[in-house]
Amino acid sequence: MAMIRNRTRHGLVALSLVLPFVAIFALVFAYPLFEVVRMSFTDAPLIGGGEWVGLDNYKRLFADKLFYRSLQNNGYFVLLTVVPTTVIALTIALAVNRLSGRMQALALVLFFTPYVLPVSVVTQIWAWMLDFQFGVLQPVIEFVTGKPVPVFKNPFWVMPSVAVVTIWWTNGFNVLLFLAGLRNIPTELYEAAQLDGATRAQLFRRVTWPLLWPVTALVLTLQLILQLKIFDQIYLLSEGGPFNSSYVLLLMVYREAFQLNNGGYAAAISLVLFLLIVVISVLQFQILRIGGKRK
Amino acid sequence: MKLTTFASAIALAAGLALPAAAQQTVTWWDFFAGGDGVRMKALINQFNEEHPDIQIQGTTLEWGVPFYTKIRTSAAVGQGPDLMTYHLSRMPLALSEGVLTPITPEDLETAGLSEGDFFETALQAAKGPDGTLYAVPFDIHSIVLYYNKSYLEGTRFLDAEGNLTGIESVADFEEAMQAAAENGSETPVTYATGDDGGVYRVFYTLLSQQGGILISEDGEVLPGDSTEKAVKAIEIMTKWHNEGWQPEQALYEASVALFTSGKSAFQLNGVWEVPTMKDLHESGKLGFEWGAVEVPKLMDTQTTWADSHAWAIPIQGQTEMDPEKRDAVMQVIGWMEKNAIQWADAGHIPAYRPVAESDEFKQMQPNATYSSLADDATYDPRSEVAGVASPSYDAAQNIISPAIHGYMTPEEAVEQVKSELQSRMR
Repeated sequence: MAMIRNRTRHGLVALSLVLPFVAIFALVFAYPLFEVVRMSFTDAPLIGGGEWVGLDNYKRLFADKLFYRSLQNNGYFVLLTVVPTTVIALTIALAVNRLSGRMQALALVLFFTPYVLPVSVVTQIWAWMLDFQFGVLQPVIEFVTGKPVPVFKNPFWVMPSVAVVTIWWTNGFNVLLFLAGLRNIPTELYEAAQLDGATRAQLFRRVTWPLLWPVTALVLTLQLILQLKIFDQIYLLSEGGPFNSSYVLLLMVYREAFQLNNGGYAAAISLVLFLLIVVISVLQFQILRIGGKRK
Repeated sequence: MKLTTFASAIALAAGLALPAAAQQTVTWWDFFAGGDGVRMKALINQFNEEHPDIQIQGTTLEWGVPFYTKIRTSAAVGQGPDLMTYHLSRMPLALSEGVLTPITPEDLETAGLSEGDFFETALQAAKGPDGTLYAVPFDIHSIVLYYNKSYLEGTRFLDAEGNLTGIESVADFEEAMQAAAENGSETPVTYATGDDGGVYRVFYTLLSQQGGILISEDGEVLPGDSTEKAVKAIEIMTKWHNEGWQPEQALYEASVALFTSGKSAFQLNGVWEVPTMKDLHESGKLGFEWGAVEVPKLMDTQTTWADSHAWAIPIQGQTEMDPEKRDAVMQVIGWMEKNAIQWADAGHIPAYRPVAESDEFKQMQPNATYSSLADDATYDPRSEVAGVASPSYDAAQNIISPAIHGYMTPEEAVEQVKSELQSRMR
């Protein structure tokens, strides 16, 4: 008897603990997701209902040249940011790790400060520094290329420039993750390896790199998701131009939804982007895990 | 006991609230910054002083996409303003969004206005396809040609009184720019070559002067020989860039600064910069004599891009606006129209004819010089992809601006504009 009552109580307690999460999850994730899916099959404006149009939005999307252009730009941006930022963060973390005490704290603060800034401030700073007429970085560009370049108005410079700004802005967080990973590697391993006569390069390749792999995989995956969702910097720096050479999927969602009032079509684009991110990031994480195990 | 205190408290509160209920607060949103904004705020303050029973609470938001995005989302859920300024070029988009309430004949009567008081072009632009009025036109504004007299002295382009003369074709204008360059002008003509508005207005003016059509009534982009005319317009702008006559990638503020600081002999910009020039000149900071004229006939016909600011009352979500408040809003509109002479001081041409035809306006300079443009202005095409903060403006920045800077040929740019705008239409 007591057993049974305990079991029911047990269940109730469990339910009461899980319920708040389930309720919030349903309210702020499951329900909106369901609505986006439903909306993507309608011709709804931004606010208010619409008529069911079946697969029309998707047919239109897959025939839209701008969609492929944006997809391509998203891919290009991922190439420009994900691996470079990971490599840079790892290098900085290794260097900072060799410092100690106050110096280490100071170096960390310096690298982490940009991450604290809001995106609008970051883009303002860089827009000024790279301003075509008055930017302090223009003499540097002029020294390298021979003439000043309006970087956010030039189709070849725009994506790399946005990538540089993005890496500068978000790198501090990755440094922090790597540093935490480095501190988790027991020092005995290094001591033992050194006793066996391992060189610095061998220490990195045989001890640091494999033991740090889970963190590297995490950073790569987080970065991939984050950079596929690129919007703010593009919207604030180049607005997708010149001639769509920095147009990305989220900008397309924004323009369709808020400028052209095509809520249904925007929902279809965002759903495609969502599925794309889910598939790519799951795939990448699995590949990285397998890659890690083989070592 | 308790009940009576409660009741008397309610009575007291109601008594206090009574005069407050009689006073209407009109929430007002506009997008006027700079010299425009100063004059609009002065009008609001004067209205508030003269009308103790109606108080305008004004907020200025950022011009363009941010303003219109906010209007749509807030009006749809009933959090929008009671009265707002609106560009008539955006009317087709506004109608498709359903954010505006019709202005009835009774509304106009409350405001003390009638349809016949307005310039016909502006009035037509304020109506839906079925003839329903959705906004009350306030002004007609356009781009004009500003000039700095000091660079033109000794050339054939200044007459005996020191006014601009002799520009009747692109060749004349280019000769004038060449002369100004020889007289030391760094960028003889300035406009916002890196921004949407600046590029769009110059392009649309050059296109319209050739009789070209951006979007036809049945929704075709650059129909027939308008394609070649658009190419021609971009070729002209590209030439000005190649010759070094116009600034490279200038954003709006920089383009104005080039003229006010005396580096440019000409400026192609909106009439709304007239107050900037006037204020600078009066305070003695300008350092040169200036003038402004209607954009000369550079191509085949005399016409200029134009648009109107208008008053509009947005929907209030699912609910209707309280009739008393609506009357108050219409009174505000009526008062503003009748005091539009102060708005004309910001360079605009009043859309309200009794003011535009008044002696006071006819003596106002430089407005009176260019006010003839009201008669031969070309408004934006009636299309959901045209007008302020529309794909047409985006295309100007995204495609035409790179083209005039040499990133693609005029032909390629026109093809891209066509396919871009066509694909945005449904």
